[in-house]
Amino acid sequence: MVHILGTLLPEKQLVKFALTHFYGIGHHTAARICARVQLHETCKIRELTPAQVTALTAFLSSPSTASPLPHLPLATLDYVPPRPSDPIPAAPRPMASADASQSVKELPGDRLKNIKIGAELRREMRDNIAHLRNIGTWVGKRHAQGFPVRGQRTQSNASTARKLNKILRYA
Amino acid sequence: MFATAVVQSGRSAWKGPFFVAFPNLRLALENNIPIKTQARSCTILPNFVGLRFLVHNGRDYLPVYITQDMVGHKLGEFSSTRKRFSYRATKTR
Repeated sequence: MVHILGTLLPEKQLVKFALTHFYGIGHHTAARICARVQLHETCKIRELTPAQVTALTAFLSSPSTASPLPHLPLATLDYVPPRPSDPIPAAPRPMASADASQSVKELPGDRLKNIKIGAELRREMRDNIAHLRNIGTWVGKRHAQGFPVRGQRTQSNASTARKLNKILRYA
Repeated sequence: MFATAVVQSGRSAWKGPFFVAFPNLRLALENNIPIKTQARSCTILPNFVGLRFLVHNGRDYLPVYITQDMVGHKLGEFSSTRKRFSYRATKTR
Protein backbone atom coordinates (compact mmCIF):
# COMPACT_ATOMS: atom_id res chain seq x y z
CA MET A 1 0.00 0.00 0.00
CA VAL A 2 1.50 3.27 -1.07
CA HIS A 3 -0.03 6.56 0.00
CA ILE A 4 1.23 9.71 -1.68
CA LEU A 5 -0.24 12.99 -0.44
CA GLY A 6 -3.16 11.11 1.07
CA THR A 7 -4.06 9.31 -2.15
CA LEU A 8 -3.96 5.53 -2.21
CA LEU A 9 -2.17 4.24 -5.29
CA PRO A 10 -2.97 0.63 -6.30
CA GLU A 11 0.03 -1.65 -5.91
CA LYS A 12 -0.34 -3.58 -9.12
CA GLN A 13 -0.69 -0.64 -11.47
CA LEU A 14 2.01 0.93 -13.55
CA VAL A 15 3.23 4.18 -12.05
CA LYS A 16 2.28 6.14 -15.16
CA PHE A 17 -1.34 4.98 -14.81
CA ALA A 18 -1.50 5.08 -11.01
CA LEU A 19 -0.49 8.75 -11.01
CA THR A 20 -3.71 9.59 -12.85
CA HIS A 21 -5.55 8.98 -9.55
CA PHE A 22 -4.56 12.52 -8.68
CA TYR A 23 -7.02 15.20 -9.73
CA GLY A 24 -5.28 17.18 -12.44
CA ILE A 25 -2.87 14.53 -13.70
CA GLY A 26 -3.69 12.78 -16.95
CA HIS A 27 -1.71 10.27 -18.93
CA HIS A 28 0.58 12.80 -20.54
CA THR A 29 1.47 14.59 -17.32
CA ALA A 30 1.92 11.27 -15.53
CA ALA A 31 4.43 10.17 -18.15
CA ARG A 32 6.30 13.47 -17.84
CA ILE A 33 6.43 13.16 -14.06
CA CYS A 34 7.79 9.62 -14.36
CA ALA A 35 10.52 10.94 -16.61
CA ARG A 36 11.27 13.74 -14.15
CA VAL A 37 11.81 11.45 -11.19
CA GLN A 38 13.59 9.00 -13.50
CA LEU A 39 11.27 6.02 -13.36
CA HIS A 40 11.19 3.61 -16.27
CA GLU A 41 8.06 3.07 -18.38
CA THR A 42 6.96 -0.27 -16.97
CA CYS A 43 7.69 0.44 -13.33
CA LYS A 44 4.84 -0.64 -11.06
CA ILE A 45 3.88 0.91 -7.77
CA ARG A 46 4.98 -2.11 -5.77
CA GLU A 47 8.44 -1.96 -7.33
CA LEU A 48 9.10 1.59 -6.13
CA THR A 49 11.94 2.00 -3.66
CA PRO A 50 11.35 4.25 -0.62
CA ALA A 51 13.70 6.81 -2.14
CA GLN A 52 11.64 6.92 -5.32
CA VAL A 53 8.41 7.29 -3.33
CA THR A 54 10.00 10.18 -1.46
CA ALA A 55 11.09 11.77 -4.72
CA LEU A 56 7.57 11.47 -6.15
CA THR A 57 6.03 12.91 -3.00
CA ALA A 58 8.50 15.77 -2.93
CA PHE A 59 7.78 16.62 -6.54
CA LEU A 60 3.99 16.41 -6.26
CA SER A 61 3.79 18.41 -3.05
CA SER A 62 5.44 21.43 -4.65
CA PRO A 63 6.09 21.16 -8.38
CA SER A 64 7.10 24.79 -8.65
CA THR A 65 9.99 24.52 -6.21
CA ALA A 66 11.16 21.02 -7.12
CA SER A 67 14.79 20.74 -8.05
CA PRO A 68 15.27 20.65 -11.82
CA LEU A 69 16.74 17.67 -13.58
CA PRO A 70 20.52 17.68 -13.80
CA HIS A 71 21.56 18.94 -17.20
CA LEU A 72 23.42 16.11 -18.90
CA PRO A 73 24.65 17.36 -22.26
CA LEU A 74 24.96 14.99 -25.20
CA ALA A 75 28.29 14.29 -26.83
CA THR A 76 29.39 16.76 -29.44
CA LEU A 77 29.31 15.84 -33.10
CA ASP A 78 33.10 15.47 -33.32
CA TYR A 79 33.33 13.25 -30.25
CA VAL A 80 35.50 10.19 -30.83
CA PRO A 81 34.82 7.36 -28.37
CA PRO A 82 37.85 5.68 -26.84
CA ARG A 83 38.83 2.38 -28.35
CA PRO A 84 37.56 -0.71 -26.55
CA SER A 85 41.10 -1.85 -25.93
CA ASP A 86 41.87 1.31 -23.92
CA PRO A 87 41.67 1.02 -20.12
CA ILE A 88 38.54 2.54 -18.60
CA PRO A 89 39.37 5.85 -16.92
CA ALA A 90 38.94 5.42 -13.19
CA ALA A 91 38.09 8.96 -12.20
CA PRO A 92 34.71 10.39 -13.23
CA ARG A 93 34.74 13.17 -15.75
CA PRO A 94 36.01 16.34 -14.14
CA MET A 95 33.41 18.33 -16.13
CA ALA A 96 30.57 16.82 -14.09
CA SER A 97 31.66 18.37 -10.80
CA ALA A 98 32.61 21.67 -12.42
CA ASP A 99 29.16 21.98 -13.97
CA ALA A 100 27.38 21.29 -10.69
CA SER A 101 26.54 24.96 -10.22
CA GLN A 102 25.39 25.31 -13.81
CA SER A 103 23.16 22.25 -13.62
CA VAL A 104 20.86 24.10 -11.20
CA LYS A 105 19.90 26.60 -13.87
CA GLU A 106 16.41 26.29 -15.24
CA LEU A 107 15.72 24.52 -18.47
CA PRO A 108 13.44 26.44 -20.80
CA GLY A 109 9.93 25.23 -21.40
CA ASP A 110 9.57 23.29 -18.18
CA ARG A 111 5.80 22.82 -18.11
CA LEU A 112 5.79 20.63 -15.04
CA LYS A 113 6.67 23.66 -12.92
CA ASN A 114 3.24 25.19 -13.39
CA ILE A 115 1.01 22.17 -12.80
CA LYS A 116 -1.53 22.28 -10.00
CA ILE A 117 -3.06 19.14 -8.55
CA GLY A 118 -5.76 18.18 -6.12
CA ALA A 119 -7.31 20.76 -3.82
CA GLU A 120 -5.21 23.56 -5.22
CA LEU A 121 -6.55 22.99 -8.73
CA ARG A 122 -10.15 22.77 -7.48
CA ARG A 123 -9.71 26.02 -5.60
CA GLU A 124 -8.38 27.72 -8.72
CA MET A 125 -11.36 26.51 -10.74
CA ARG A 126 -13.83 27.72 -8.11
CA ASP A 127 -12.09 31.07 -7.99
CA ASN A 128 -12.38 31.40 -11.75
CA ILE A 129 -16.11 30.67 -11.69
CA ALA A 130 -16.68 32.99 -8.73
CA HIS A 131 -14.79 35.72 -10.58
CA LEU A 132 -17.04 35.34 -13.62
CA ARG A 133 -20.11 35.47 -11.37
CA ASN A 134 -18.96 38.48 -9.41
CA ILE A 135 -18.31 40.66 -12.44
CA GLY A 136 -21.66 39.63 -13.88
CA THR A 137 -20.81 37.83 -17.11
CA TRP A 138 -23.22 35.57 -18.94
CA VAL A 139 -21.01 32.56 -18.21
CA GLY A 140 -21.09 33.28 -14.49
CA LYS A 141 -24.87 33.66 -14.51
CA ARG A 142 -25.30 30.32 -16.28
CA HIS A 143 -23.11 28.65 -13.68
CA ALA A 144 -25.28 30.13 -10.93
CA GLN A 145 -28.41 28.81 -12.62
CA GLY A 146 -26.87 25.37 -13.17
CA PHE A 147 -27.39 25.49 -16.91
CA PRO A 148 -25.08 24.86 -19.86
CA VAL A 149 -22.71 27.73 -20.47
CA ARG A 150 -22.04 27.61 -24.20
CA GLY A 151 -25.47 27.86 -25.74
CA GLN A 152 -26.49 24.20 -25.62
CA ARG A 153 -30.17 23.26 -25.44
CA THR A 154 -31.88 23.00 -22.07
CA GLN A 155 -35.34 21.70 -22.92
CA SER A 156 -33.83 18.23 -22.90
CA ASN A 157 -30.38 16.90 -22.02
CA ALA A 158 -28.09 19.30 -20.12
CA SER A 159 -27.94 16.79 -17.28
CA THR A 160 -24.18 17.18 -16.88
CA ALA A 161 -24.54 20.91 -16.50
CA ARG A 162 -27.31 20.51 -13.92
CA LYS A 163 -25.08 18.14 -12.01
CA LEU A 164 -21.84 20.11 -12.18
CA ASN A 165 -22.43 23.79 -12.87
CA LYS A 166 -22.48 25.54 -9.53
CA ILE A 167 -20.86 28.58 -8.05
CA LEU A 168 -19.02 26.29 -5.64
CA ARG A 169 -18.25 23.55 -8.08
CA TYR A 170 -17.06 20.36 -6.43
CA ALA A 171 -15.90 18.33 -9.45
CA MET B 1 4.59 36.13 -19.41
CA PHE B 2 1.78 33.67 -18.80
CA ALA B 3 -1.77 34.24 -17.54
CA THR B 4 -2.26 37.48 -19.39
CA ALA B 5 -5.66 38.04 -20.88
CA VAL B 6 -4.26 37.71 -24.38
CA VAL B 7 -2.79 34.29 -23.70
CA GLN B 8 -5.90 33.01 -21.94
CA SER B 9 -8.26 34.08 -24.68
CA GLY B 10 -6.88 31.56 -27.16
CA ARG B 11 -5.98 34.29 -29.60
CA SER B 12 -2.47 34.55 -31.01
CA ALA B 13 -0.36 36.72 -28.74
CA TRP B 14 1.29 38.62 -31.60
CA LYS B 15 -2.04 40.05 -32.69
CA GLY B 16 -2.73 41.63 -29.32
CA PRO B 17 -6.26 42.05 -28.04
CA PHE B 18 -9.03 42.99 -30.45
CA PHE B 19 -10.51 46.34 -29.58
CA VAL B 20 -12.43 49.16 -31.14
CA ALA B 21 -11.05 52.66 -30.85
CA PHE B 22 -13.80 54.84 -29.38
CA PRO B 23 -13.20 58.42 -30.50
CA ASN B 24 -14.90 60.09 -27.54
CA LEU B 25 -13.27 58.00 -24.80
CA ARG B 26 -11.68 60.82 -22.83
CA LEU B 27 -14.72 63.05 -23.08
CA ALA B 28 -16.93 60.25 -21.83
CA LEU B 29 -14.66 59.56 -18.88
CA GLU B 30 -14.65 63.21 -17.81
CA ASN B 31 -18.34 63.90 -18.23
CA ASN B 32 -19.55 60.42 -17.24
CA ILE B 33 -21.42 60.02 -20.50
CA PRO B 34 -22.25 56.42 -21.44
CA ILE B 35 -20.82 55.27 -24.75
CA LYS B 36 -23.46 53.69 -26.95
CA THR B 37 -21.90 50.88 -28.94
CA GLN B 38 -22.64 47.74 -30.90
CA ALA B 39 -19.05 46.47 -30.66
CA ARG B 40 -19.72 43.50 -28.40
CA SER B 41 -16.47 41.82 -29.41
CA CYS B 42 -14.34 44.72 -28.20
CA THR B 43 -11.93 43.68 -25.44
CA ILE B 44 -12.13 45.78 -22.29
CA LEU B 45 -8.82 47.60 -21.99
CA PRO B 46 -7.36 48.97 -18.73
CA ASN B 47 -8.12 52.54 -19.79
CA PHE B 48 -11.85 51.73 -20.03
CA VAL B 49 -12.07 51.34 -16.24
CA GLY B 50 -14.66 53.71 -14.79
CA LEU B 51 -16.46 54.19 -18.09
CA ARG B 52 -20.11 53.50 -18.64
CA PHE B 53 -21.17 51.70 -21.80
CA LEU B 54 -24.49 51.02 -23.41
CA VAL B 55 -23.87 47.67 -25.10
CA HIS B 56 -26.23 46.46 -27.79
CA ASN B 57 -27.75 43.02 -27.27
CA GLY B 58 -29.55 42.82 -30.60
CA ARG B 59 -32.64 44.59 -29.33
CA ASP B 60 -31.71 47.40 -27.01
CA TYR B 61 -28.70 48.88 -25.25
CA LEU B 62 -27.94 47.57 -21.75
CA PRO B 63 -25.90 49.67 -19.32
CA VAL B 64 -22.50 48.24 -18.33
CA TYR B 65 -20.25 49.93 -15.78
CA ILE B 66 -16.61 48.90 -16.24
CA THR B 67 -14.66 47.92 -13.12
CA GLN B 68 -11.08 46.80 -12.74
CA ASP B 69 -12.04 43.11 -12.64
CA MET B 70 -13.62 43.24 -16.09
CA VAL B 71 -10.36 44.03 -17.89
CA GLY B 72 -9.58 41.40 -20.49
CA HIS B 73 -13.19 40.32 -21.00
CA LYS B 74 -15.37 41.37 -23.91
CA LEU B 75 -18.10 43.97 -23.77
CA GLY B 76 -20.66 41.47 -25.02
CA GLU B 77 -20.18 39.18 -22.02
CA PHE B 78 -21.96 41.72 -19.86
CA SER B 79 -24.95 42.31 -22.12
CA SER B 80 -27.21 39.28 -22.23
CA THR B 81 -28.80 38.43 -25.57
CA ARG B 82 -31.36 36.01 -24.11
CA LYS B 83 -34.76 36.73 -22.64
CA ARG B 84 -35.71 34.95 -19.42
CA PHE B 85 -38.54 32.50 -19.93
CA SER B 86 -41.70 33.50 -18.13
CA TYR B 87 -44.77 31.31 -18.28
CA ARG B 88 -48.01 32.85 -19.50
CA ALA B 89 -51.27 30.92 -19.04
CA THR B 90 -53.18 32.58 -21.87
CA LYS B 91 -52.10 33.86 -25.20
CA THR B 92 -53.12 37.46 -25.42
CA ARG B 93 -53.96 38.17 -28.99
